[in-house]
Amino acid sequence: MIPQLVTVRVNRFRIWVPVLPVLLLLVPAVVVACLVYRISVWRALGAGWRILCALRGTLFDIADGETAVLVRFR
Amino acid sequence: MNDQRREILQMLAEGKISADDADRLIAALSRVPAAPETPASPARRSYLRVLIDAEEAGTPSRINIRVPLKLLRAGVRLAALIPPQALAKANEKLMVSGVPFDLTQLKPDQLEALVEHLDEVSVDIDSPDAKVRIFCE
Repeated sequence: MIPQLVTVRVNRFRIWVPVLPVLLLLVPAVVVACLVYRISVWRALGAGWRILCALRGTLFDIADGETAVLVRFR
Repeated sequence: MNDQRREILQMLAEGKISADDADRLIAALSRVPAAPETPASPARRSYLRVLIDAEEAGTPSRINIRVPLKLLRAGVRLAALIPPQALAKANEKLMVSGVPFDLTQLKPDQLEALVEHLDEVSVDIDSPDAKVRIFCE
């Protein structure tokens, strides 16, 4: 299952990004890019879908001194 | 009480064997080592974790990364999409940089095998100014 939400926090600034709407916006751009670079659209979308489904649970949490960055896929 | 012992006692109760026979059979059972139970397979690990705690010039830094192993496998499949012309160009650049590595020889099956065994990786580095742990959970 694809992640539903991506949480991005940079220091005190935090945003929540819903995955599905962003995905729907990005798919046409991906299709165009595949056509331009002559990559199979279906294979690219299939591979992208697999990666997206595997992203659930991914966490990057980096803190260095006063700077902290967190990216979490739920 | 194990099944074999139960069977012996059942046969004794039904009169199929005498008490002496039952005693000998039970004694024989205790001499034969019990078949090892199939060890429970270790729970399949799902995430690769990288934990780094370091201190540089008095400033602490922390890195905590958790990556699903499924993501690595999916990434391996993505590598199969790279067009051959791009691989050839990358090879040229590597050769120019002095790295004699042929990317076209890298097969998805080999990468898949690498990821498959990644769940056995465990790295533990402990130094005065940094602690690094890489493991799968």
